[in-house]
Amino acid sequence: MYALSKQLTDAYSRRFARAVRETYKEDEAYASTPLGRLALWAFLALLFFLPLLLGPYPMYVATLVAIGALSALGLHLLVGGAGQISLGHAAFMGVGAYAASHLYGPLAPLGILLGGGIAALLGLVLGLPSLRIKGVYLAIATLAFQFLADYVFKNWEAVTGGIRGRTLPPAEILGLALDTPDRLWYLVLLFALPLFFYGKRLLMTRAGRAFMAVRDNDLSARVAGVDLVGVKLLAFALSAFYAGVAGGLLAQLYKAVTPEYFPLTVSIQYLAMVIVGGAGTVLGAVLGAFFVLLIPEVLNSFVGALGPQYAAALAAWRNVIFGLLILGFLILEPLGLVGLWGRIRNYFRTWPLPY
Amino acid sequence: MSAILEAKDLHLSFKGVKALAGVGFHVVEGEFFAVIGPNGAGKTTLLNVLSGVYEPDKGQVLFRGQNLRGKSPQARARMGLGRTFQGLEIFRGMSVLDNVKLGAELALPTYPPALPKAEREWRLRAWAEEVLDYLHLSPFRHAPAGMLPYGLQKRVEVARALAGRPKLLLLDEPMAGLSLEEKQDLARFLLDAREEWGITLLWVEHDLRAVLELSDRVLVLSYGEVLYHGPPHEVRKDPKVVEAYLGHG
Repeated sequence: MYALSKQLTDAYSRRFARAVRETYKEDEAYASTPLGRLALWAFLALLFFLPLLLGPYPMYVATLVAIGALSALGLHLLVGGAGQISLGHAAFMGVGAYAASHLYGPLAPLGILLGGGIAALLGLVLGLPSLRIKGVYLAIATLAFQFLADYVFKNWEAVTGGIRGRTLPPAEILGLALDTPDRLWYLVLLFALPLFFYGKRLLMTRAGRAFMAVRDNDLSARVAGVDLVGVKLLAFALSAFYAGVAGGLLAQLYKAVTPEYFPLTVSIQYLAMVIVGGAGTVLGAVLGAFFVLLIPEVLNSFVGALGPQYAAALAAWRNVIFGLLILGFLILEPLGLVGLWGRIRNYFRTWPLPY
Repeated sequence: MSAILEAKDLHLSFKGVKALAGVGFHVVEGEFFAVIGPNGAGKTTLLNVLSGVYEPDKGQVLFRGQNLRGKSPQARARMGLGRTFQGLEIFRGMSVLDNVKLGAELALPTYPPALPKAEREWRLRAWAEEVLDYLHLSPFRHAPAGMLPYGLQKRVEVARALAGRPKLLLLDEPMAGLSLEEKQDLARFLLDAREEWGITLLWVEHDLRAVLELSDRVLVLSYGEVLYHGPPHEVRKDPKVVEAYLGHG
């Protein structure tokens, strides 16, 4: 007679611990194994209850990372997905932030969407040079856009408030002011989760394949029936939309918008997220944002904990350590954090066998 | 038997170099048509003109009775004109499955790209799996195409092109660099595809034995001109072809 405990563990392994995908349908799903689905639901639950678990400052950082991940995902679709490059990502975030600063209070969600929409239109315009030029030349064209946007942010006083920028009252939903990070968090989730699932789905389906085909080999893509113009413009517009929405959310978090939030260095920071995270996957965007936004905070509090007499001396070293970490990643794990994660997962999937 | 493809008096020159000088031929529906010739004869240029990468200076191409002038490569692909390349032009960072699915989209009607539809994906998947199984690529479906050995990468490219169910498939040296065994496999796949899916094949190839054994008719090019156009068994006897390409044995 088969012991009950054995039957139960068997049932468990059949239901959840199965590491192998058994049907095509399963293979095509967001999470391809029962265990993966369980993990996905657990993660969503964790996100939902996060404000109950974290204090105000960690919650502020968590919101910052979530917004950063959303924006990074936009750049992922463009750089890792369609193989184009943009040094103007921060400018799109700025466009979204300034647009959102004009529609606040109960209208905030509308303002954030509008910011995304305006950014997407500008993204279409920035996509035009990509139809003729590639690589470094395209990078320069997008760089020009970044500087142009910076100039407009500083000088179009009527809309942007010039150097001093704009402050905005918190968003309101049903009369409840989202003035703290743990409340604003739900607004961020409201925008980020659908956009994450859309991005994931996009990369798994027709448009994603067309993106990657353009990235890998544009001549072959054309002969295989891919509409090069459409794909490039769509990639730029989508990427800008994600950045615009993220910018609008960031304006809500900071409760202010100034040109200093969206300089070239921020654009480069987002490129770093894409590279450190690992190109072209949704998970890469999240991990990259975690790494690039969280590590400086961790180093900060580490330096702070050492006491004021060291803080000044170590503050400079903080950037050096951060730079070295990024460099280490590029050399040791070219596939980024996603590559690292894949190797860890495969180790446990086949455990205890070595292969 | 009607002509699926008709090329009339094609001319194309690059800054004074005449790549094509009045090439004309036709391909009959369902046949295995070969284009051979020495290096620089204009074979790849001819394929580029047929698939729309180049526009000819003069002359016209009729595909299933339609004039192709001004049609982009992607428009021609959607009309049923498939193509593989001489160098490996696969999507190296994509999985084998995604390569084939991308090709398979040509076999299914289009829909707005921004609206992913699960049902469609499954139909694509089922068809792509059929093609993978057919070309013995199923075990590699999730491998990044660029990581596979050369012979398999060649096969991925053929799979990608076949998955689109083209009416006419242009193959640019599909056997170059393959071992004898791999060549035999590929020949079998191509002949089966013609039988089963009714695909007409036009190939450029240097392996003369394979060309003469497999092809129904042969076009010999040299310096952009047609030397011979007809059945393969007589090509060896043609004095012009022997002079320009085969050499005296």
